[in-house]
Amino acid sequence: MNVSIADASVRPDAVPAPSTPLLELRGIAKSFPGVRALDDVSLPIWPGEIHMLVGENGAGKSSLMKILCGAYRADQGEIYHHGKRVEINSPADARNFGIAVIFQEFSLVPYLSVAQNIFLGREFVGRLPGTIDRKRIDAEAKRVLTSLGSNIDPGMPLHRLGVAHQQIVEIAKALSQNARILVMDEPTSALSSRETEHLFDMMRRLKQQGVAIVYISHRLAEVFLLGDRITVLRDGRKVGSVLPSETSPAGLVQMMVGRKVDTTYARPTHNEAGPVALEVKGLCAPSGIAGIDIEVRAGEIVGLCGLVGSGRSEVARAIFGADRRSSGEIRIFGKPLVGDVSAAARQGVGFIPENRKQQGLALIRTVGDNIVLAALENLFPKRIFRPAIARKAADAIIRKLRIVTPSSLRPAQVLSGGNQQKIVIGKWLVAGARLFLLDEPTRGIDVGAKEEIFAVIGDLVANGAAVLMIDSEQSEIVHVCDRAYVMREGRVVGHLARHELSEANILRLAMHHD
Amino acid sequence: MTTVETTAASPRFVMSGDLTQLFYRLAAIGLICVALSFLSDAFLTTNNLLNVLRQASLVFFMASGLTLVILTGKIDLSVGATVGLSACLAATVIKSTGSPWLGAVVGIGAGSLVGLANGVLVTRLRIPSFIATYGSLWIVQGITYYYMAGQTIYGFPPGFRALGSGYALGIPIPVYLMAGFLLIGGFFAKRTTYGQQIYAIGANSVAARLSGIPVNSRLVLVFIMSGAMAGLASLVFLARLNSAEGDIGESLTLPTIAAVLIGGTSLFGGIGTVSGTFFGALILTLILNGMNLLAVNANWQPPVTGAIIIFSVWLDLATSARSQASA
Amino acid sequence: MTDYSVIDQPAATKASILARVPGVAFMLVLLFVAFATTTPGFTTLANLSNVVVQSTILLIIALPMTLIIMTEGLDLSIGAVLTLTSIIFASVLLPTGSYALAFAASSVVGIMFGAVNGWLIAVPRIPPFVATLGTLGIAQGLCLIVTDGQSIVGLPPQLQWLYGGTILGIPVPLVMAALAYLAFHGILYHTRFGTYVPALGGNREALRQAGVNDSLVLVAVYTLGGFMAGIAAMLLTARMNSAHPTAAIGMEFDAIAAVAVGGTQFERGNGWLFGTLLGVVTIGILRNGLNLLAIPSSVQVSCVGLLVILALFVDGLRSTEE
Repeated sequence: MNVSIADASVRPDAVPAPSTPLLELRGIAKSFPGVRALDDVSLPIWPGEIHMLVGENGAGKSSLMKILCGAYRADQGEIYHHGKRVEINSPADARNFGIAVIFQEFSLVPYLSVAQNIFLGREFVGRLPGTIDRKRIDAEAKRVLTSLGSNIDPGMPLHRLGVAHQQIVEIAKALSQNARILVMDEPTSALSSRETEHLFDMMRRLKQQGVAIVYISHRLAEVFLLGDRITVLRDGRKVGSVLPSETSPAGLVQMMVGRKVDTTYARPTHNEAGPVALEVKGLCAPSGIAGIDIEVRAGEIVGLCGLVGSGRSEVARAIFGADRRSSGEIRIFGKPLVGDVSAAARQGVGFIPENRKQQGLALIRTVGDNIVLAALENLFPKRIFRPAIARKAADAIIRKLRIVTPSSLRPAQVLSGGNQQKIVIGKWLVAGARLFLLDEPTRGIDVGAKEEIFAVIGDLVANGAAVLMIDSEQSEIVHVCDRAYVMREGRVVGHLARHELSEANILRLAMHHD
Repeated sequence: MTTVETTAASPRFVMSGDLTQLFYRLAAIGLICVALSFLSDAFLTTNNLLNVLRQASLVFFMASGLTLVILTGKIDLSVGATVGLSACLAATVIKSTGSPWLGAVVGIGAGSLVGLANGVLVTRLRIPSFIATYGSLWIVQGITYYYMAGQTIYGFPPGFRALGSGYALGIPIPVYLMAGFLLIGGFFAKRTTYGQQIYAIGANSVAARLSGIPVNSRLVLVFIMSGAMAGLASLVFLARLNSAEGDIGESLTLPTIAAVLIGGTSLFGGIGTVSGTFFGALILTLILNGMNLLAVNANWQPPVTGAIIIFSVWLDLATSARSQASA
Repeated sequence: MTDYSVIDQPAATKASILARVPGVAFMLVLLFVAFATTTPGFTTLANLSNVVVQSTILLIIALPMTLIIMTEGLDLSIGAVLTLTSIIFASVLLPTGSYALAFAASSVVGIMFGAVNGWLIAVPRIPPFVATLGTLGIAQGLCLIVTDGQSIVGLPPQLQWLYGGTILGIPVPLVMAALAYLAFHGILYHTRFGTYVPALGGNREALRQAGVNDSLVLVAVYTLGGFMAGIAAMLLTARMNSAHPTAAIGMEFDAIAAVAVGGTQFERGNGWLFGTLLGVVTIGILRNGLNLLAIPSSVQVSCVGLLVILALFVDGLRSTEE
């Protein structure tokens, strides 16, 4: 069956496909401890086709990508290349099969030239032993770049290029290794609209040359503009593969959402909202957010939703002072907040960062040390540290939050993820925080522990604190939060009150490209 | 009131990581002493042992301040040069005013200023500490040489000299000072909020900052303290040597770093104790003392010290809890 | 086909010419003018050629230091290794009279130290400043042990040709330095190894992904430093017509300073070989001028240090402007 001919009427630039896919994944499954990342996913990749891969955060897209490039090995399933069964066990294997992945962090060297970057490790040998043929490297690089429709000077040092052009170099690098399948992960997230158009021109060229492109994106406009085929993943499963002509943005959203309602996370009661704990007006920061207006009252759990890269963490960090603010007003329980993290901590703001191991905990320090870390000046106003008092405070938190550890003297690194997260939350409890900024509090935590974390958060607000919670799992937002703000591309684009709070609504606001 | 506890009550005495470290060092000291007493008759004499203690205390003064810097994950390569500068300035003041106290103020003040400069270079100019302090090492040394213009200052008041050469109850005075610093330093590190924050900064400076700790302020503080301690050490040196020359302190950097590292303080920060540094100073001095007693060419001391430094870091990397923590 | 490259060069058109000129060129000119106008005897041909010839030894060790710093590393031991190899060179030359043998011996020692440095940094991943601090102590100690604190004298007078002689009218050290510079230029810009050096500092992971043995390259970089020390040793010994146990102790500071002043950064693999050349000349001029003003060597060191801080400061200012 030749699908592409059928939609040639819609897509004038379509390339007729052969009868076997360039690459085919069948029944791919991949699990990690506690999480089933992929379950029976089958995917054909045809040459000359732009295959869109969409799904929520955590749907399995990045696991699939990693399997394609050889970074992960599938637990089950087969891979066929030109109809022949093959194994992709390493990045070198993937390269041999012509698969190249363009990640968001480029593998480029800043102070080498464009050409040197393209041919890193594969330089053409010169006449004298040990030398390289610079002219040939430059010439070949120019050839590849030209075939992409770019006239970047191959001799230019890479660091002088902007993100968009570095991306082109990354693509050229892949092509120079005879990639026939290009996997691109959110390639337009850092590009201006003009640069995006250039990228799309390039992709159309590649299509003409028979290259297959697997394109992961949240931007529905792009998906419909460029895609020849759309595959939707949800919870590690393939929901379906459709042609753009067969569906609509709303339909796509519907396919991406629609999980069974999970009542485990439902909060038993919603409190009366108290005084305004956090008031943000016109917050802007060089980290990429602008015009943020947010309000959180005591007793509320307010969600901050959006897709990866929409600026949610940046907002939390800017409020806390971890990132520089360029303008805007912040009030904590009516009092203005100026200054950096020490000021925020003193005014009762607690920040639970996204990456608890690298940013939230001093892993080699004990549980007890970590728990009192933000409260040292509170507990010991005369600056004399009394281990007994610290231990008591730590033990109290361990009891209150039910942290599982033989004692407060164990190093924090030996605890499970859920318990580590409790330490980070507990740290701010001891410090007397009244406003908690939580960035992905349940990331990497197994189901049972998630429940406990939400119970802890519920307790926090029941006792009069306020919570602003970032969570990429929309179902959690829906069932735990009182209301939510939705962000997109550095701005708040919407607010959902309790009765409006649904996964579909969140996604619609987060993805819609007007 | 009884409560059902979900966790075991924290026992009062626990063989914590720090204690095991100290145990190993005590064992090492014991082994070295036993070995040396067999290898040389002169080792176990009172004179020699007191000498070892005195030497160790000189190293310890500088090493204690440096310990704080290394605990934060930074390094101060300029300690030796700072001692030199402080010593020469203090010497001048003592000679001209006759007041050891004034000399002390000047010496410690000079050291603190160098520390402040280092702190600013590292926190404001964001120069990696090993480069910044390497540069300040040379600058300070240059200033010292220029100031001294090749001369030697000698002949200090006997009261002052007692600081370095005197005895009390048969034990050299520097040893008492060392004990004092051990207590004060250990107290600062373990029993003040500043100390707790310093450990946290060394363990994970990002997490420390995100917990509201003013990281830059604390870094400047430890550099100042390192410089001040170097200033203090210079006074004891002056008292002991009864003279000051431009090149005092040049050969001190390596042994100071070695003492800190042998003492179990991790170069990467967050792990270590001042008492460990005490034992490190002792171990290093014993090793060097042994080499002296066995008539090994004194020129072997820097190589041995250098090798010890490399070995300590290697050991730290190979066994560190840190490598497991970086998952 | 649209002209893509224009889009990403906003800075080039906006920034003034002044910002594009490297800081070291400024400093060089400034210092030259300052000394020329204030210091008698500075602008004589004899003096200036003296500066150039004296700078050659520093250049020969600053060149590999540039590469080392480009890998985000540092070699604190190179001064001591230079001293040691000079001693070895003299020690072998004295009894045998064979320059070839002496050179072989000193090169081997230099290479060994370089390889040890590289290995310690690449394999157990000991931070460069610690590893080379340790080998500094070892080399320094060996210098004193081998010579027993005495200088080695009585070397054959022909040795002096290496420093004082000329080839086709050009002083020998200059020829050697020029050859060294050309060699390093060739290595850095025309070999695979040279391509990998900035990658080690800029994105080591990318290098590994490209299938290159990054540890091997790292060891090679430091070994090259040791080897160049062996070469510089010949010039040093010829210049002093003897070998002293403390001859070049501390020269690593000048080398690092020259590299830093020349614009090579300590992070990200941004290196400029010609900048190092300019840096070496700048420091040479600074020291020479200060010498003529009878300012003691110790103070000269402080001035070099201040120069480095100034360079780093200005560098920091510029990069925040970008």
